[in-house]
Amino acid sequence: MATEEVVNLHAEAHHDAHDEHHAETFLTKYIFSQDHKMIAKQFLYTGMFWAIVGAFLSLLFRLQLGWPDTAFPFLETILGKWAEGGKISNDFYYALVTMHGTILVFFVLTAGLSGTFSNLLIPYQVGARDMASGFINMLSYWFFVSSGVVMFCSFFVHTGPASGGWTAYPPINGMRDIAINKGSGLGLDLWIISMALFIVSVLLGGLNYVATILNLRTKGMTMWRMPLTIWAFLFTAILGILSFPALLAAVVLMSFDRLAGTSFYLSDIVVNGQLLSHHGGSPILFQHLFWFLGHPEVYIIIVPAFGLVSEVLSVHARKPIFGYRAMVFSLMAITVLAFLVWAHHMFVTGMNPFAGSIFVLFTLIIAVPSAVKVFNWITTIWRGNLRLNPAMLFAIGFVSMFISGGLTGIFLGNSAIDIPLHDTYFIVAHFHIVMGVAAFFGMFAGVYHWFPKMFGRHMNDAIGYIHFYGTLIGAYAIFFPMHFMTGIPRRYARFDSFEFANNFAGLNKFISIVAMIVFVLQLMFVINVVYSSLRGRRMKSINPYGATTLEWTTPVEHFHGNWPGEIPEVHRWPYDYAINGKEYITQITPLSEDEVSHS
Amino acid sequence: MTTILGLIIIVCILLVIFYVARTVELTKELKGEADDTESASNAQGYLMFGFLIAFFIGIAWSSVHFLPMMLPAPSSVHGIEIEKLFNMTLFFTGIVFVVTHIVLFWFVFRYREKKGAKAYYFSHSNMLELLWTAIPAVVMLVLVVKGLVTWLSIFPDTKTLAKDTMVIEVTAQQFKWNIRYPGVDKDFGSRKIDTAHIGIATPDFWWKNELGIDWSDKASHDDFFADTLYLVKNKPVLMKLGALDVLHSFYLPHFRVKMDCVPGVPTTFYFIPNETTVEKRKLLSQLPEWQKINPLTGLQRYATFNFELACAELCGRSHYTMQKYVVVVEQAEYDEWVKAHIPIYVGIEKAKNAASAKLNGTEMNISNDSTMVIVDSMTKSRTDSKEVAVI
Ligand code: HEM
Ligand SMILES: [Cu+2]
Ligand SMILES: [Cu+2]
Repeated sequence: MATEEVVNLHAEAHHDAHDEHHAETFLTKYIFSQDHKMIAKQFLYTGMFWAIVGAFLSLLFRLQLGWPDTAFPFLETILGKWAEGGKISNDFYYALVTMHGTILVFFVLTAGLSGTFSNLLIPYQVGARDMASGFINMLSYWFFVSSGVVMFCSFFVHTGPASGGWTAYPPINGMRDIAINKGSGLGLDLWIISMALFIVSVLLGGLNYVATILNLRTKGMTMWRMPLTIWAFLFTAILGILSFPALLAAVVLMSFDRLAGTSFYLSDIVVNGQLLSHHGGSPILFQHLFWFLGHPEVYIIIVPAFGLVSEVLSVHARKPIFGYRAMVFSLMAITVLAFLVWAHHMFVTGMNPFAGSIFVLFTLIIAVPSAVKVFNWITTIWRGNLRLNPAMLFAIGFVSMFISGGLTGIFLGNSAIDIPLHDTYFIVAHFHIVMGVAAFFGMFAGVYHWFPKMFGRHMNDAIGYIHFYGTLIGAYAIFFPMHFMTGIPRRYARFDSFEFANNFAGLNKFISIVAMIVFVLQLMFVINVVYSSLRGRRMKSINPYGATTLEWTTPVEHFHGNWPGEIPEVHRWPYDYAINGKEYITQITPLSEDEVSHS
Repeated sequence: MTTILGLIIIVCILLVIFYVARTVELTKELKGEADDTESASNAQGYLMFGFLIAFFIGIAWSSVHFLPMMLPAPSSVHGIEIEKLFNMTLFFTGIVFVVTHIVLFWFVFRYREKKGAKAYYFSHSNMLELLWTAIPAVVMLVLVVKGLVTWLSIFPDTKTLAKDTMVIEVTAQQFKWNIRYPGVDKDFGSRKIDTAHIGIATPDFWWKNELGIDWSDKASHDDFFADTLYLVKNKPVLMKLGALDVLHSFYLPHFRVKMDCVPGVPTTFYFIPNETTVEKRKLLSQLPEWQKINPLTGLQRYATFNFELACAELCGRSHYTMQKYVVVVEQAEYDEWVKAHIPIYVGIEKAKNAASAKLNGTEMNISNDSTMVIVDSMTKSRTDSKEVAVI
C-alpha cells in the first residue's frame, strides 16, 4: 500500500495497472473527481450554465433598451416586484448589467474558458498522467462552484443582487446603504464573498497549471517543443496568480469600509445633508487596485483563446504555425505589458496628466505584439490546405473579431481621444468585440476541435455551420453599429432625458432583436454539445485530424493516467506539417537520420 | 400566452433544424463520406468570401446611415484637436482593418481544402517578423507623440491660466448637479467640510448647506446657484468638480469634456467653448438630419438644439436622468444673466425672514422638495430652462 501512495503523488510513475485499487464510485468519478479530463468537462458544463444565465440577463436589459416604454407582463411573472407592471425597475436594470458583466467576465470567460482547456490540454499535451495535484485541481473546481452558488443566491435576497457595476467602484459600492444603491446591501456582501471564493479557485488552478507545465513534461518535451496552447495557459496562469490577489485585497478593504467603518476608499461624503465620519480615503485607490487586476484579467480571458486558435489554425491549415517563437515572445511581451497599462481605464479620474502619458505609451506599445500575432495567424493560413470545419471557421472568425476590436483599442489608448469616448458605447463596442465575442469564438473553436478528445464523438457539423454564421453575422450586427453611438453614455437605462443621446431608438431595437436570435443560436450549440456527447458520430481513429500533438496519441476511452503504457517520448516540435513529403509528423516520431530538429 | 406560443415555435424550429442536421449526418455516414471534408471546405470558402463582401457593404451602408445621427462637430478648441487625432487614428486603423480583412478572407477562399493539394511548409521568417514589428511600432510612436502633445495641452498647469479664465464650481450628487458661480467678485466663498458647516445654513434654519459654504467668508455672499451652465464664447473656463455622495462624471458631449467627480478628491477641467448656442443652431440648420421635424416639439430639430451636461459614471438608479442644459453666449449677454441672479446668501436671508414672519413660531415640517422650490426660485432656474429650450 505504501507504493500506492507514492504512485498517487508521482503521476509520472503511475504506469502499471493499478486500476483494481481505485474502485471508483459515482461520487469520485463524476463529482469529486481528481481526473483532469473529468474536471475539464465539469468546468465546461458549469461555464455553459453560467453563459446561458449571463446571456439571458442581457436579453432582459436589452428588452428595456429596445422598448423602454413598453410593458411586458411576462416580466412581472418571472421577476415579481423587480418588474412591476411589466417594466424592469431601475434598480433591477442596474443589477442585471452588473451581474451580466460579472458572470460573463469571471465565471464564463475566465473559469469556463481557461478552466476547461487548461485542464483538458495541459496534462495531455505536455505528456503527463494528470495535473501536479489532482486534489488541488478538484478544490479549484469546487471553489468555483461554491462561488457560483453564492452569486446565484444573491439574486434572491430582498434588496437584490449587486447593482453598482461589475467594476464595483466605491463609494456607491463602498457604503452599505441601500438608500444610495439597493444592490449595495446584502447583495454586494454576497458578491464580495463570491469573488473571494472565485479568487481562491483561480489561484489554486493557476498554481497547479504552472507546476504541471514546469515539472511534469514528458521526456523530450522541452519548453520550445510545447504547443502554443500550453504557452498560452502558462502565461494565463501567471497573469492570474499575480493579479487576482490585488482584487482580493481591494474587496477585503472595501468590506472593512462597509462593515467596520474604516475609510480606505471614503472621504468627505455627504448623504442627505449629513457628513459621514469617513475621512482620508480615496475612491481612486480602489480603481487602481481593481484595474491592476482588471487589465490583466482581460488578457487572462483572451490569451487562452490565442493559444487555442493558434493550434486550430495550424492543424486545419495543415501547415506549421507561422513564427512559433515570435508567437511565444509576443505572448510574453503582452503578459509583462498587461501589468503596466491598468490606468488607461482611469484617464479621466483626475489623475496626473504626466502619469497618464506613461500609461498611454505602454498601452499603445501593447498593440505591437498584438499586431504581430494577427499577422502571424494570417500568414499561417497563407498557402495552406484549409479544412474549413466549424472549429477552423471559428478560429478565423476569432482573428477577424480580434482585429476589429483591437483596432478600436488604439483610439481608447490615446488618452486625449479617450476623454470623449470613456464610458460611452464606443467602449461597449470595443470590449465586447475584442474580448467578449473573440474569446467566445476561441472557446467555440476549442470545443468543436477537441470535442472528440473529450467525448470520443464528433459534434454535428451542419448545426456547427449554422451556429458559426449566425453568431458571426449576429455578433457584428449587434456590436459594430455601437461604434456609431460614440458619445452616448453606457449604463443608461433609457436615453430620453437627453437630446443628444436620443437618436438611436431604431438601432437599439435592432440590436435587441439580433441579440435574441443570437441567444437562440447559442442554445443550439448547447444542445449540440449535450446531444453529440451522448449520441454523436463515434470517433473512428484516435487522431481524426492528422494532428501532431500528444493528446491525439491517447486512446479514445478515457481512463486515469491517459496513456495505457509508457508515456511516449517527444522528439520534435509540435508543428511539423507539410514537411519531408509527409502531411504531418507527430511529435513522438523520432527524427530521421538526416533530419535537423526544428527546435 | 404569446410567450408560450413563441417558446413553442422556437422549440419547433430547433427540432426541425436538429432532425435535418441528423439526417445529413446519417446519410453522410451511410455513403461513407463522413471523413470527406473537401466538399464542405469548398462551400465554406465561398460562404466566407461572401461574408466579407456583405460585411463591407454593411459597414458602408451603416456609415452612410448613422454618421449624420452622431454628435455634431465639437464646439470647443481642444475638442477640435481631439477630433483631428481621432480621424488620424481612424485613417491608420481603417487601412489596417480593410487590408487585413481582405487578406484574411481571401486566403480562406483561395486556400480552401482541395484534394491532393499540399500545404506549403513556411515556419518562420525573421525578415517578416521584423517588418511587422517595426511598422506598427513606428505608427504607434507617431500616434503616441501626437496624442501626448494634445493630451498635455488639454491639461495646462492651473497656476498659469489666463487672467480672464472663468471659474465655475460643479458639485454632483445623486441625481443632480449643483452649479455654483462666484458672482460679481469672481471669487468663491470657501467651503468647510466639517459638521459645523455641512447640514445647516445658519442656526435654526432648515435649508441644508450640503456644500458646507462658509458664510463667515464674505466672498461667499455673492455666490449664486444656477440651473443652467452658462459659458462665454471664446472665454476659457476652469471647471472645479466634486461630488458629495458617490462617483459621478461631468460630461459635456458637445465640448468633448469629461472628468470624474470624486468625493473627497477635487478635480478640474479647463476648456474654451468656441461657438455660441445660437451659432451652433445656425450651423446645424444646414444639415438635412437637423432639418427634420422633432415630433415632440413640432419644430425642426436644429431650432431646439441645446448643449447638454450629462453624468457619465454609474451613480445609482437614476444615473441616466442627470441632465442640465449648457448655454454659450457672448460676454454682454452673460453679464446680464449674472446680474439677474440672487446670491444664495441673500436668498436664504430673505426666505428665512419670510418664513419666520409667516410661521410666527409654529413648528412646520418642510419637505426637501419645498427646499428645492425656494432654492430654485432663488436661481430663476425655471425661466432659464424655458428660455433655453425655445430662444
Ligand atoms: C490593442 C490593444 C488594446 C488597447 C490599446 C486597449 C485599450 C483600452 C482602453 C484604453 C480601454 C479603456 C477605455 C475607457 O474605459 O475609457 C479599454 C477598455 C477595455 N478593454 Fe481594451 N484595449 C486593447 C485590447 C483589449 C483586449 C485584447 C481586451 C480583452 C480581451 C480588452 C478588453 C477591454 C475591456 C473589457 C475594457 C472595458 C472595461 C470596462 O470599462 O468595463 N481590450 N481598452
Ligand atoms: Cu485595459
Ligand atoms: Cu451621476
